[in-house]
Amino acid sequence: MIRVLNILLVCTSICMLVGVYALKYSVEDVAAEKVTLQHTIERQKADLSLLKADWAYLNQPANVAPVVNRHLVALNLQILSQDQFGSLDILPMRLKAPDANALNSLFQSLNSGVDPIQQIISESN
Amino acid sequence: MVALDAGSLPIAVDGARKLRGGLTTARIRWVIAVLLLLFAAICGRLVQLGMVVQDTSIEGKARDIITATRPAILDRNGLELAVDVRVPSLFAEPRRIIDVDEAAAAVHSVLPDLSIDWLKQRLTGDKGFVWIKRELTPAIEDKIMQLGIPGLDFLTESKRFYPGGNEAAHIVGAVNIDNQGIAGMEKAMDDEDVALLQQVGLARGNELAPVNLSIDLRVQHVMHDVLTDALSRYRAAAAAGAMMDIKTGEILGLVSLPDFDPNNPGSALQKDTFNRMTAGIYELGSTMKSVTIAGALDSGKVKITDTFDARFGVRFGRFTITDFHGKNRILTLPEVYKFSSNVGAIHIMQQWGKENFRAFLHKMQFDVPEPLELPERRNPVVPKTFSDIVAATASFGHGLSVSPIAMLRAMGAFANNGVMVRPTMYKTSLADAEKTYQQVISPQTSAEMRYIMRLNANEGSGSRMNMLAQGYRAGGKTGTAEKVVNGRYDTSKVLSLFASVFPLDNPRYAMMILVDDPHTEPGQGGHTAGWNAGEATGRIIARVAPMLGISPNFDPMLDNNLVPPELR
Repeated sequence: MIRVLNILLVCTSICMLVGVYALKYSVEDVAAEKVTLQHTIERQKADLSLLKADWAYLNQPANVAPVVNRHLVALNLQILSQDQFGSLDILPMRLKAPDANALNSLFQSLNSGVDPIQQIISESN
Repeated sequence: MVALDAGSLPIAVDGARKLRGGLTTARIRWVIAVLLLLFAAICGRLVQLGMVVQDTSIEGKARDIITATRPAILDRNGLELAVDVRVPSLFAEPRRIIDVDEAAAAVHSVLPDLSIDWLKQRLTGDKGFVWIKRELTPAIEDKIMQLGIPGLDFLTESKRFYPGGNEAAHIVGAVNIDNQGIAGMEKAMDDEDVALLQQVGLARGNELAPVNLSIDLRVQHVMHDVLTDALSRYRAAAAAGAMMDIKTGEILGLVSLPDFDPNNPGSALQKDTFNRMTAGIYELGSTMKSVTIAGALDSGKVKITDTFDARFGVRFGRFTITDFHGKNRILTLPEVYKFSSNVGAIHIMQQWGKENFRAFLHKMQFDVPEPLELPERRNPVVPKTFSDIVAATASFGHGLSVSPIAMLRAMGAFANNGVMVRPTMYKTSLADAEKTYQQVISPQTSAEMRYIMRLNANEGSGSRMNMLAQGYRAGGKTGTAEKVVNGRYDTSKVLSLFASVFPLDNPRYAMMILVDDPHTEPGQGGHTAGWNAGEATGRIIARVAPMLGISPNFDPMLDNNLVPPELR
């Protein structure tokens, strides 16, 4: 009886020994993995902060303005002057129905070879 | 058996069983004793391990403080003024380094600017931690890691980066290598709470909420751009300016040139880079006439319809004070402002009373340091009591030195129905700002002030400003203060100022521009304030107003509505 019990106990302790060692090694693996992950996260956070700083730099008026100035001529950019502002209430209201007479006279003058709109444009130039 | 051999002696034989029993008890005692000793040793060791204090400090500073972050500083629209960049810093543990020569040579191969001798000396010894080089790049970190030298490692530090460079230098200030604020808002924030957060270790990682300043980076850029242009255009020694929202007290832009690059804090130590707007005090010249007239009108002792005799100078003993642009006739009150008559201002002040004038200066807080959060501040110099001559010169801005921010605040109050607000560098809601409101003049006086400010822009010394900022209903007052050189006023060296408010039909923004020692622009008329500070103001308003949602309006009714009923 006692012998059986002893054998059983020895077997259990061997099993537990193996189990504990396995656990120890797996914990070590997990810990190592955790350190690697933490390092990666730290690294990526650092990269992210650099990218954010890059973006902040590129987005600054101090950085954009020289780019604009460099391409002023190529893009024919001009500074908005005060008389170029308008508001909605200075626009005329839309007509309820097309002005038949005006359209007729427009088509007549077009048929006779005179373009009144072109005339306005050339006069304003 | 021994007993049997002994023969005659009485035989006293213990039983074998009993004998063995005694032996077993002794053995068990021994085992228990050994076990107890063993456990005591283990417990002792545990206690010993528990007592070990790990040295986490780095060269005398706590590790947390070194790796601590600072909150990002944003402008009012969320654009970054200052951000934290996480950078690797190389350190060594000399006691773990096996071959010093090899390690030094290897580090030198990656970082050639460190001398081998210095490295050897640094890596020898029994220390647990020495810095090799701080704030490196990830690429260099990779190279050094590949060398595979034991005892070298990296610590991720936070480094401050200012993407705008010089542009907002005086606002953000700078930090030192340990990430502590040494100037500007960085220092102000440290003095408030960031330093405490770092100390208790709450400032690790990127957890701190970003701080929104009141600055509008677009306005800041335009001001910086125009003032840089003014510096070269008028060959001036310095230029500075600030703009404030007069409803909330928020400073939208603050520039002082020459400035420095906060990414390289050493450049802040160069001469003349101090913040002129807050750390400078000046004789503000004729811009003070706004204060004199506002106070006098508000007292009721002077009316906007009153006239003042400016035909002759005012004599004080040996001195006679005359006008720069002398009209030599009787002037109405708006004309005194428009022609910037010193004599007229003196008469206005005298009719009002010099004690009242001094008391009004205190009410407008010209004699206390301005309450802006920036730590660079200086006490104004205003005489405690005014003698006749001091009061006379003070009425046109000489003999007292105050901060330009005080004038900015006063101009805002004069335009904003007489309500003075506390200026701030932090983004503020109108409700919070209203708690700091202080009624300094009556709404009626404020309406009269708006009229004379606009009049000065339409017809007076502000006309050059108005020409550039047409349609934005700006108005204000010029000031040309002669500078004191070797104890005497020098007419050739002046400080030009322009204090303005726009749009005057619904006032919202006040601005103060200062140009130090300007010269006449080739082909232009002069070096008084209207030609330089005034023009710079006009250029800034023309560019900034559309960004702030103010559209130009050329309706003459707007100006007519400003005229007080008595003068219609």
